Amino acid sequence: MDKLSIHLSNDETICTPGQSLQGSVQWRLETAPEHLKLSLFWYTSGKGTRDVDVVEIVTFDRPGTLGSKDFSFDLPLGPYSFSGRLISLIWALELTCSPDSETVRREIIVSPTGREIILDSASAGCSPWQGGGAIGGPLESILGRR
Amino acid sequence: MKARDNPFCVERVDAIRYRPLATTFDTILARLAVLGYQAAIVGPEGSGKTTLLEDIQRVLDCQGVRTRLVFANDTTPLDGRRRKRTLSELEGDEVVLLDGADTLRRSTWMRFQRRILKRAVGLVITTHQPGWLPTLIDCATTPALLEEIVSDLLSPNCVSSDILNRLYQDHQGNIRHCLRDLYDLFARETMGLLV
Repeated sequence: MDKLSIHLSNDETICTPGQSLQGSVQWRLETAPEHLKLSLFWYTSGKGTRDVDVVEIVTFDRPGTLGSKDFSFDLPLGPYSFSGRLISLIWALELTCSPDSETVRREIIVSPTGREIILDSASAGCSPWQGGGAIGGPLESILGRR
Repeated sequence: MKARDNPFCVERVDAIRYRPLATTFDTILARLAVLGYQAAIVGPEGSGKTTLLEDIQRVLDCQGVRTRLVFANDTTPLDGRRRKRTLSELEGDEVVLLDGADTLRRSTWMRFQRRILKRAVGLVITTHQPGWLPTLIDCATTPALLEEIVSDLLSPNCVSSDILNRLYQDHQGNIRHCLRDLYDLFARETMGLLV
């Protein structure tokens, strides 16, 4: 097993806005961390200014060197996962270990169509911004710049 | 090409660290100490000033030195309210890292600098021209540096040296602008025209 891992129920990486996202995190570490932090967030990638929004964080205090915990997040209604030439919006779960800063990330797709929306061919009336959001890399580096 | 797959997407470009020319990072840090942590990183746009400032912050943080990075530019000016807030938040044992000091008027800068140095243990700035604080380093670029960076972002590098030289000349050595142009070329999937 990797040092840190994120498992999604039924290996479900394609999600519907508003649905419940469930799974478990597992860890096997050499030294006991102070805590593990699981974040649900989206970020933008592309040419312009980067943006990130952390939707929810679950913290596991003093988890020991080895273990597993279940998690459940209620996904918001948006924004949807999308990609154009200038910008992509990517949803992910990230498990970080403090103070060692070991990190693992698992990308998911949040879309009513069951696929990442491609802007060039996105159908009318299917706005990726439904439910809110803003245009704008990995989570820690973006947060570190704020 | 999807933005997320573009080799010149901003997070990949932002991950590039400062590459000193004809010196070393340790030499820069040693000079910073000699200057009492009051120094200016000087250079034209796109020459790596902000990158170096961030790298210095990272090293100081690792050394246990408290730092405070302040950005000032045309879209986020360091106006009176931000200056006041910055000064009020200083805790006395910090090194202030100010990116874009020359967006301030000289008279405003002189007052702000004095007030910062009353409260902080150091002040490192970036400017386009020398003369604001003792120069720590004069940042510069070369076509070879652009080629090295592109080679790191592209594996294998499919952009010819001639094209990179042309980009470099067109953007007068501004590496950031060169990389943005390369982003556009890849976004339009027109790189084939360049090889």
